[in-house]
Amino acid sequence: MAAKARTSRRTGAAAGVLLTPFFVLFTAVTVVPIGYAVWLSLFTEKQSGLGFDGAESVFSGLDNYTAALGDRAFRDGFWILLGYCAVYIPLMVGGALALALLLDSGLARARRFFQLALFLPHAVPGIIAALIWVYLYTPGLSPVVRAMDSGGIGFSFFSPDGALPSVVNIALWEWLGYNMVIFYAALQAIDRSVLEAATVDGAGAWRTAFSIKVPLVRASLGMVALFTVIGSLQLFTEPLILNQGSGSAVTSTWTPNMYAYTAAFARNDYGLAAAAAVLLALTAALLSFAVTRLTTRKGARA
Amino acid sequence: MTSPATTGSTTTPTGAEPTARTASDSRTSATRRSTSRTSTTRTSTIRTKATQAAPSRWLSKAAVNGVLLLSALYTLFPLLWLVTAATKDTGGLLTGDALSFKGFDLGHNLSELASYNDGVYLRWYLNSLLYAGGGALVCALISVAAGYAFDKYDFRGKEKLFAVVLLGVLVPSTALALPMYLLASRAGLVNTYWSVLLPVLVNPFGVYLSRVFSAAHIPDEALEAARIDGASELRAFWSIGLRMVMPGFVTVFLFQFTAIWNNFFLPLVMLSDQKLFPLSLGLYAWNSNTHAEPSFYPLVVTGSLLAVLPLVVAFVALQRHWKAGLAAGSVK
Amino acid sequence: MSRSWTRTTAAVSVVTALALLTGCGGDDDSSSDAGRGTADKPVTLTFWAWQKGSKDVVDAFNASHKNIRVDFEEIPSGNAGGYAKISNAVKAGNGPDLVAVEYPMLPEFVSQGALQDIGPHLTDEVRKKFLPQAVDLTTLGGKSWAVPFDAAPQTYFYRKDFFEKNRIEVPRTWAEFRTAAEKAKKADPKARIATFMPDDPTTFEAMAWQAGAQWFKAEGDTWKVNTSDAATTKVADYWQGLIDDRLVQTAVSFSPEWTAALKDGSTVGYLGASWGAGVLKSTLPDQSGKWGIAPVPTWDGRPASGMLGGSTWAVTKGSRKAAAAVEFATWMSTTEEGVRARIAPGTSSAFPADVALRPAAKKAFDAGFYGGQDIYRLFDEAGASINPRWSWGPTTGTTNTTLKDQLGKVSGGSVTVRGAVRAAHDATVAELKKRGLKVEG
Repeated sequence: MAAKARTSRRTGAAAGVLLTPFFVLFTAVTVVPIGYAVWLSLFTEKQSGLGFDGAESVFSGLDNYTAALGDRAFRDGFWILLGYCAVYIPLMVGGALALALLLDSGLARARRFFQLALFLPHAVPGIIAALIWVYLYTPGLSPVVRAMDSGGIGFSFFSPDGALPSVVNIALWEWLGYNMVIFYAALQAIDRSVLEAATVDGAGAWRTAFSIKVPLVRASLGMVALFTVIGSLQLFTEPLILNQGSGSAVTSTWTPNMYAYTAAFARNDYGLAAAAAVLLALTAALLSFAVTRLTTRKGARA
Repeated sequence: MTSPATTGSTTTPTGAEPTARTASDSRTSATRRSTSRTSTTRTSTIRTKATQAAPSRWLSKAAVNGVLLLSALYTLFPLLWLVTAATKDTGGLLTGDALSFKGFDLGHNLSELASYNDGVYLRWYLNSLLYAGGGALVCALISVAAGYAFDKYDFRGKEKLFAVVLLGVLVPSTALALPMYLLASRAGLVNTYWSVLLPVLVNPFGVYLSRVFSAAHIPDEALEAARIDGASELRAFWSIGLRMVMPGFVTVFLFQFTAIWNNFFLPLVMLSDQKLFPLSLGLYAWNSNTHAEPSFYPLVVTGSLLAVLPLVVAFVALQRHWKAGLAAGSVK
Repeated sequence: MSRSWTRTTAAVSVVTALALLTGCGGDDDSSSDAGRGTADKPVTLTFWAWQKGSKDVVDAFNASHKNIRVDFEEIPSGNAGGYAKISNAVKAGNGPDLVAVEYPMLPEFVSQGALQDIGPHLTDEVRKKFLPQAVDLTTLGGKSWAVPFDAAPQTYFYRKDFFEKNRIEVPRTWAEFRTAAEKAKKADPKARIATFMPDDPTTFEAMAWQAGAQWFKAEGDTWKVNTSDAATTKVADYWQGLIDDRLVQTAVSFSPEWTAALKDGSTVGYLGASWGAGVLKSTLPDQSGKWGIAPVPTWDGRPASGMLGGSTWAVTKGSRKAAAAVEFATWMSTTEEGVRARIAPGTSSAFPADVALRPAAKKAFDAGFYGGQDIYRLFDEAGASINPRWSWGPTTGTTNTTLKDQLGKVSGGSVTVRGAVRAAHDATVAELKKRGLKVEG
């Protein structure tokens, strides 16, 4: 008994030492900034006269929140995000899963090469991926656009209609292989006797894929969906590059993240920026919570 | 990066998550081993079947490989473009003909890159190595320490505390970057190495992962033996735990390194001094300059190619590691 | 209890957290040299700008001055991120001493509190040297906020060879401009005589300015915002027509797309400003001798011009070296050495706001690219015709960001130019109100 108490005091101290660095930093870079953002969002800089005599920070309650929510540009950002998710998530999850199934079908050759080739874009920083694709979107420079033109497909990536597809494409390029590898690994881990039984039962490749393999990798599907949703909410780098000087119709407030950035750095309204960031974080938290609940319920006892 | 699976530019939950997702344990590798064994049998079964319907099988095979080939073309084409474009001079870049080697000027581009603005590109490169290497190293250490403590010790409120960590995984990192900037500017830390380095030391996902790895790789008996030998708890962690959990350490390091190397939003808001820029931000700044000065185009493109190289080489060389990392996350 | 208490606590808690790991301190050279500096103890200034030739000017200054040393950093142009970088650094307390700010953004920076009043260091004698319009635009609320550098009357650049070959007359009015655009397109279906730059609201504003609009007017302590006047509407509808009929190229200013079209000769004109002469010259070296410059077309054929951009040098709030900064800025703007050092290397065609320096500027600029045309005489006349009634408001950041975002959608047809202006108007008024200012409009 005595020995045990001593041990637990001892281990308690050790646990404290090992956990402290993480939690100190975690507090400093997560909890405190969020708290500070909430605090800042309650103040507005007010000026007097014609606005050239400096400003003072005044408590303004929820004014910044109503200002953000009342701003069409901010609300549009959420709609765009929704549209983005509606296009991107099915394409990403479906595409990655389809490719993984093909790779796992027993018909594919050079599987190592394909895995590597599809995964490689993940090694490219988002900003560089965006820079590359902007060139490939630019009329007059891009071999892709030229090929499309001569093939009779006159699609302008920079037009308002092209904004969403052009961002989706960059994201897809960056993450398709990454998620494909996850699915492929999950497929590979399926107990082969199950598949053999199905083959013996006369199930064709399609049926095996959709009625046996896919249900067995449901857990991975849920995880990929969750992280894709969280990632989508952060959409920033690619549209920023498209916005700045490419000629694309992507605006400076295209996503809520960009709205917050523009509020802080182009409009110098920290209160508004803080309010927008808080609203975004809140949305993200709610959404991830919802997706987690959904997938764990579905995936439970899978 | 932004997009899907985190890696979001900034900080915390970044990178690692894939691995995590559930990160299995040592069972994973066992499963995989048996998998590869059975797959041979499976192929042979299919082969027997195939002889019955040879033409249609040949067709399916062509279709499957055709689709895969097309998608590989899709992922590799932009990289190929980057390679040819990096060899061009300004004129060659702006007159199209992207995939030829017309206007070949690689040597000049490289020397420009090395000499422009007193070799600031090299400085960015070193900064990136410092941010990514140093940051990932410390982050992995902190994560492993915390994960180990969560796994091996019992204390009051442990699971509640762990729930906080899991919650941290779900906060999108770019939503945090701006608040961090506001705070850092209040604290006078904006535009310092620390403003970029400190936030990337934290990765809740790494802690989660480390806990799983610790459970799988460090048997309690080993620690018990150390205790009986009179080693202190911290010594047991340092000399036994840390060594045994090395695979987890490497995984966290690898993913955090990638995340930091690709980080953009955080340095963008935090840094204004060129000398502190990482590559991503430096290239962005140059790209902004191209508007007034087209001669920056070759610098941006060649600089991008060199910035991509280390990770491409690492991913090609370390195929086994990242595949295992992603696999660990996929199997529940 | 209140706010400052909590803020401090928040800040302190982080600082302590960080102090555990850092131990770093700001190592700003705080040698409290507020004065002008001497040869023994020179003042070191930091200076951020993107204007062409700035590095050459700094080198020349450093070579000829012992009391002040200037450290120069080239930053992206204002709208491409330079302004964000400046205000970011100033807010963080580590801004440079002297920065470049274009006239449109000056009131925004002043109103943010990012700059300091340089009145005490700027003598009347110096002030009198500048074009009065430039002085007006840098005097806000009765104080001087910047040293004007150049005036930027709008001008039209065109490919002489193309116009001559196809017998198109250089347009003097906007009606002729449209005719010329149609002729050019008929001669070569790919040819466009100008580019609509959706990312650059200041070009549109310059044309509204030329037409007599007055978007911002200060009356007492009230801002009167008016963008639905006849002049603005006329300009908006005119450009809507050109865009709808595909008579102009649509491309971002200085983008690869724009450059590529100029290089392959499908875009044969450019509505720019005096400083654009240097840009074209350095962007298209192989088209030397083929370009000409004309005054910007007007509505009634009588000379009139708006100003497109134009730069000033301003001292940031935190700088304790204002005297030295103004001395250096004045040297750049008002001495022959300064102007020559900038222009002689060939990339800058700045048109000094200091009237007396124009002969020096003309001498320094090699106009061979324009077939030896006397372009500074043309700038001179255009500069004199700048409509003096225009002023900028304190929310240019919001106004121009909104206008830019909306103009980006015009070519797709989902927004009209008029609609874009309207949206910018609404955003501007909302922003002024949010800041607690009195607004009408």
